[in-house]
Amino acid sequence: MASNEVSDATLIARALVGDDRHAFAELVRRHQSTVRACLRKLTAGNHALADDLSQETFVLAWRNLKSFRQEARFSTWLYRIATNCWLSNARKRKEELLGDRDDAVAEDDDGNAGDGENAHGDHARSASLKIDLERAMAVLSEGERAAIVQCYHNDLTHEEAAYVLDCPVGTVKTHVLRGKQKLKLAMAAWAPEGN
Amino acid sequence: MTANSHNADTTADRDWLDGLLDADAREARSGYIADGGFTARVMQALPLRLTLPAWRKPAIVALWGVALAGISLALPGAVLDIAREAYRLLGAHPVSLSGMAGAILFAGALSWSAAAYALRTSE
Repeated sequence: MASNEVSDATLIARALVGDDRHAFAELVRRHQSTVRACLRKLTAGNHALADDLSQETFVLAWRNLKSFRQEARFSTWLYRIATNCWLSNARKRKEELLGDRDDAVAEDDDGNAGDGENAHGDHARSASLKIDLERAMAVLSEGERAAIVQCYHNDLTHEEAAYVLDCPVGTVKTHVLRGKQKLKLAMAAWAPEGN
Repeated sequence: MTANSHNADTTADRDWLDGLLDADAREARSGYIADGGFTARVMQALPLRLTLPAWRKPAIVALWGVALAGISLALPGAVLDIAREAYRLLGAHPVSLSGMAGAILFAGALSWSAAAYALRTSE
């Protein structure tokens, strides 16, 4: 972030006090990438669903902006809303996680997916890892997946992840531990020799 | 190692899966997702703010005050007549216990409704 950029706190104040939609639009622009990436991870690569949930996240953030007490970073607060949106959606519908996921990865319009199995070297390995990881993530329970995404993908501390997931730190650690055990089984092909 | 969450982990606790997850997270963080009209869609979907502006309530009270003062000044006779009739109806007649209870209930319901309307939340 450039030093002359208006801070999130200032934009939030403008949106709250002056009902300034331009300020909120700037917040959306600033955080859309991380929120969408987080939800893509949570939805195991379902980009369309992730974008719908991202939109819902920002609409909820707008509605509840006055309840944001600055006890956490704005991005962490957004992760919390996003995770709740995803959990609520996941409970409503039976996810067909393995169905459309490969298509979604192949249609990645941001060029992150790479060339899949036809590519070579590091790029192919990375794309292949991404697909396998998304498959493996789908095996995890909602709590385990959310904990892994917050702690690794979003680079949050256990305490921050506990805030996002609205649960004790011990529960986050348990979810991460169990999630990793399941991932190790699902990703056994990626284990180095001797493991 | 980049992830904060691994602060508590010792080096021995970290394994090949941590490496894979970190690599995947690093790659994801390095790829910015282009807006592609997302912000515009969000802004279109935003509901109108239902919160009343802070100046609205005092302004309404002041306007009502001005209107009542204006009526009193413009029609002093009518205001006196209304006050006199109100006293005659309410004050000069004996009031039964049941009538008084009914009036209290009505006034209570009216004031609660008015308070609920005035203090309604923005959601």
